[in-house]
Amino acid sequence: MQQKPILLAPLDPVHDIGLKIMKRSLDEAGFETILLPPDYKAGEIINTAMGNDVDTILISRTLGYGVADLLANFVDLAEAAGIRDKVKLAIGGMAVRPELAAELGFDAGFGPGTKPEELLAFIENKEYVPDKSSAVKEKSNLTEGYTYQYKHQGMERMLDQIVDSIMNWAEGKTSPAVKRAAIREKMLINQGEAENLELLSQYLGYSDEMVQDFYNDRKIPDKCRPLGQDEIDSLERYVEATKERMSAQKLQHVKDNPVVFIQYGTGCPFMDIAHIKTSEAWGADGAVHFDPSWAARTEGFLSGYLTHEQDGSIITLENLAQTKKHLQPSTIWQVRAHRGLNTPETVLLAGHLGADMTKINIVYGSLGAGTDPERMTVDAIAAIKYAAKFGMPFDIVTNEELCGVPAHKAFAGMLIVNHLARRLGASTVLQPLFCYSPEMMINGGMDDNYIDFNAAKIMALRQVIDAPIWPGAPIGFLTQDEDRVQSAMTTALHASLAASLNVDAISIASSDEAYSGGPIIASSRIDTLRATKEAFRFFGSAGIQPTVKAEEMVSTLVSGIEQVLQNVLDKGCFVQALYDGILGSKEDGAYPGRSGRGTITIE
Amino acid sequence: MSAVFKNVMDAIDIETFLVCSSESEGKELAIRMVKDMGIQDADIVFIQYQGPGARVRVRGYVHKPGANYGWLNSKT
Ligand code: B12
Repeated sequence: MQQKPILLAPLDPVHDIGLKIMKRSLDEAGFETILLPPDYKAGEIINTAMGNDVDTILISRTLGYGVADLLANFVDLAEAAGIRDKVKLAIGGMAVRPELAAELGFDAGFGPGTKPEELLAFIENKEYVPDKSSAVKEKSNLTEGYTYQYKHQGMERMLDQIVDSIMNWAEGKTSPAVKRAAIREKMLINQGEAENLELLSQYLGYSDEMVQDFYNDRKIPDKCRPLGQDEIDSLERYVEATKERMSAQKLQHVKDNPVVFIQYGTGCPFMDIAHIKTSEAWGADGAVHFDPSWAARTEGFLSGYLTHEQDGSIITLENLAQTKKHLQPSTIWQVRAHRGLNTPETVLLAGHLGADMTKINIVYGSLGAGTDPERMTVDAIAAIKYAAKFGMPFDIVTNEELCGVPAHKAFAGMLIVNHLARRLGASTVLQPLFCYSPEMMINGGMDDNYIDFNAAKIMALRQVIDAPIWPGAPIGFLTQDEDRVQSAMTTALHASLAASLNVDAISIASSDEAYSGGPIIASSRIDTLRATKEAFRFFGSAGIQPTVKAEEMVSTLVSGIEQVLQNVLDKGCFVQALYDGILGSKEDGAYPGRSGRGTITIE
Repeated sequence: MSAVFKNVMDAIDIETFLVCSSESEGKELAIRMVKDMGIQDADIVFIQYQGPGARVRVRGYVHKPGANYGWLNSKT
């Protein structure tokens, strides 16, 4: 333990908070300290040092004006007084750059954001080793602790009947996607070349021409480019070097929830990885893979490392494996499967590669994303079975709300898919939209604020069932504009509301989400991650209070859901209900998809 | 073009306030500023014009997804 006292002196007319923080930690560590008030001249500080026989002088300077001259003068006076060689001399504060301190002959310089441990290490002549224990993140399991028990028994009974009828309807039905997935399953375990070729030819029998041409004639689809081995090698080097230097921040402040997902799909798996690493470093807990819309309308997957200049990154076994390989161990990885002609196989690949989650919703897939309802239902059942087999939960995203479908209809659809999933042994996460929904834009229900309706949705779901909730996707959708500050701000506010409602997860957009002129960029991702972190810090365990209107909205939503479920029951067939607009009509903005129509066969 | 641009992950956003007399002038100036830096792929992300001038966020893409990224090969 140091014997002589440490002198702390602000070389500044007023600013001394930083220095007082340092004093407190020195005192706590058992050092004897002397703190001078602000506005002392250099000579006075040096006299005090000599008079008290100190062996360490810590100066603080906040104001930038004239800082170099002032500090140089201080060192000169210390030398003239003959104490420079007898004391340790350090300077800290907002105006201090370590380079400047070194140049002027200080033993150390501590700039903005200094941690007391850094100073302690300096005083004790130790090397400062940042404590990374707080940065060691654990992977969260969103479904843990939920019972999926219904609090609304009437709905449970209706859902039981609806799911019975879906299972009856689907009995014996199959699709090209289901067949391909079964073939792929064999390919994934099969090693023999001849057998694999045979399996591939079977696979191509259920694929589109574009996919056949790719395998048979190496015809690369328009705008696609295979990535070369040299590129793959340099990516490896880049990621390895990045990983070594990396420590991940935590966004949450006092609570563990909500975990924060980012969505990626730049078109290029390499850029995806670069964005994911950046997002992880700035605190993202999870990443959601977005595939291109053309791929959702194509029967069959391509293979190899492929990039293209379009939105969404191409799903191939190799592309996904490459991404997965480079994730932090704590990152929750989700591969979306919810909407296209490759749903079962996507879930299979995701599960095979060790993805943590997938995304399936029959209703959105068929009413908002262009896939034929009959096809989507058959495919989704197969997909859900794979999800169950891999123990991989999936969320049920109600994006049809973005098309204009009212929340109560979308929620009825979500609950049906949820019930079906539970029947098939899978775990789910409910994903209501948390945004300025088109339904409300049109009917004015959110004219006063963005809080009540979003809060009401969460409260309504909780009145129905005990299940995890992950609002998205992303939060604040349709409230963001192209301005960086505005969009980071609205994301942070929605994140605060989500945290205040104690939901399990959120997906956030970047601060260029609303810009449609080009790809999203890394620095814009950091904007919203930082904004979200600040929002969590601001609210801590405090919360946001909805108005009384939210309560009214809750009961309207719950009775609305009930009514829609009854309508589906009255229809007698869930798939027919999809075609007939009961879960979202053409007037609402939902159109039964045509992709994959007529492809269902009976086994 | 600055050699440092090879380290830009994807794009640079310049946010500034341009003294100008209309939104279209602000746009034109902002785009020119980015092109003058040697980045051809320039676009306005956000602009808000009021009397004193325009608040702009103008973007120049250095590496678009699928391109050859300078930072992948760079030793730094
Ligand atoms: C609080 C504050 C004040 C308080 C100071 C109260 C006090 N007792 O300290 C008051 C209101 C008095 C004040 C006044 C002024 N202030 Co003032 N103030 C600030 C403010 C808001 C925060 C500074 C602060 O304390 N930060 C918190 C501490 C914890 O951070 P920190 O000092 O950086 O300390 C950390 C590190 O630097 C380091 N550290 C600091 N010292 C040391 C020492 C050692 C040994 C070590 C190891 C580490 C270390 O560790 C700390 C923890 O990480 C800043 C703006 C801002 N938002 O940051 C302006 C700011 C510093 N003030 C500024 C100015 C200009 C003034 C005035 C001169 C304005 C004026 N013309 O009236 C007046 C002073 C007038 C006068 N009488 O001379 C400017 C400085 C600009 C510049 N270019 O220098 C700032 C940046 C605001 C601005 N942007 O204009 N201010």
